[in-house]
Amino acid sequence: MNEHVTPLRLAASGMRAQSERLRHTAENIANTDTPGYRRKLVSFEEAIRFGRPTGEVEASRTRLDRSELPQVYDPAHPMADEQGYYQGSNVDLIVEIADSREAGRSYEANLRVFEQSRQMGSSLLDLLRR
Amino acid sequence: MLTLNAANAYSAARSAVAPGQPDAAAKVGDAAEGFAQEMARIDSAATGAMTGQVETHQLVQTIAETQLAMETVVAIRDKVVEAYQEILRMPV
Repeated sequence: MNEHVTPLRLAASGMRAQSERLRHTAENIANTDTPGYRRKLVSFEEAIRFGRPTGEVEASRTRLDRSELPQVYDPAHPMADEQGYYQGSNVDLIVEIADSREAGRSYEANLRVFEQSRQMGSSLLDLLRR
Repeated sequence: MLTLNAANAYSAARSAVAPGQPDAAAKVGDAAEGFAQEMARIDSAATGAMTGQVETHQLVQTIAETQLAMETVVAIRDKVVEAYQEILRMPV
């Protein structure tokens, strides 16, 4: 049954990784207006267990987007400097929405693989039942 | 001559259908043991999910795996019962 269980494991790892990605996207969207917030980036890598690639995917350590923070002009802002500027966040809402949509689609693809593999295992056993 | 051949064939076939081969019983025992372990795994996963220690993906994955194992065991059991009934129906 291993050949029907392994795809389940792989698909579950994909779903886990995409959830992680969506979580960071949500953090970014929530902090769109936070002054000085740098957007979090998550990248994926193949999981290694006991020095051997497993085929599973996992989200690697999050990195911060090092691009320059925009200067927002608002003299009334408590964090504004002498010129009346403060540093905003470098979150771009459009990028984040696209990213979250992509995470959703990838999640769905993994879900389909999961379902498919389970169904294949079940129908193989149906042969015995007649 | 013909009866001797039949007797020889019969004695040759007896070893193949002789019951109680010890290692076969041990294999079935091992399989049952493995199945029990699988069931214990889903138990702990379900409990963990209730208390928030196991994430939902892990739970769903374990349930799907266990379901496959369960279906396998049920299919094998059905086959064994069927074979037993087939033997019972055999005219003596």
